Amino acid sequence: MISIHTCRFGLLEVDESAILEFPSGVPGFEWSRRFAVVRPPELAPIVCLQSLDSADFCLWAAPVAAIDEFYSLELSAEDSRALDLEKAPRPETLCLAILCAPENGLLTANLLAPVVVNLERRLAVQAVRTDSRYSHRHAIAGEALCS
Amino acid sequence: MLVIRRRPGEALLIGGDVEIEVLDATPSQVKLGIRAPRSISVLRKEIHLTSEQNRAAAREIPAAAMDAAVEALRDSLRKSPLKSPLPGPISSA
Repeated sequence: MISIHTCRFGLLEVDESAILEFPSGVPGFEWSRRFAVVRPPELAPIVCLQSLDSADFCLWAAPVAAIDEFYSLELSAEDSRALDLEKAPRPETLCLAILCAPENGLLTANLLAPVVVNLERRLAVQAVRTDSRYSHRHAIAGEALCS
Repeated sequence: MLVIRRRPGEALLIGGDVEIEVLDATPSQVKLGIRAPRSISVLRKEIHLTSEQNRAAAREIPAAAMDAAVEALRDSLRKSPLKSPLPGPISSA
């Protein structure tokens, strides 16, 4: 176990085996390579990717399948390599979309660049799509906020 | 939007010191060569959008917006549950 201080969760105890490694960080925060996935039960299925390199850096994310059950993604060869997914059978993966609260308060999910995780190796990349099928600001909870 | 037709080997200039040359073109892809001063950043647009979006996402999310999203996501999961339960590393907050 390692203990780290975080701004959002206070002191966080993380099992070493429960840490995700982003070999190239995420765009905009390339310096942060290791994240712990924190799952506050009251916010499920939303999870928090808490950086282990900076106490005040965390990203919130949700399983892409909960946002769009028909979402599909073709990983680039480079991302597949970074995730060590080229062997057979292919390890189980998880796809998360990073959430953001823009000025007007409606939460959006970045479906242009989902986080893909190799659950076996605990490797992750933010896979940036080159097509424009999905928005980087896909609105979720629009109706719920209006009522 | 300004539209210019170019063939491989042809180039265009933006301002005085940015040159973009079409190196190769196939029906599905264009290969570009870019000559620009180091002070000018050249980024794939989707990477730039992702950087900006990640920076915005790193700001705190208001509790009301978070709660509304949790509700909406749970609603959609009730209609079509995840095929495999949410796996992954768990650490308690």
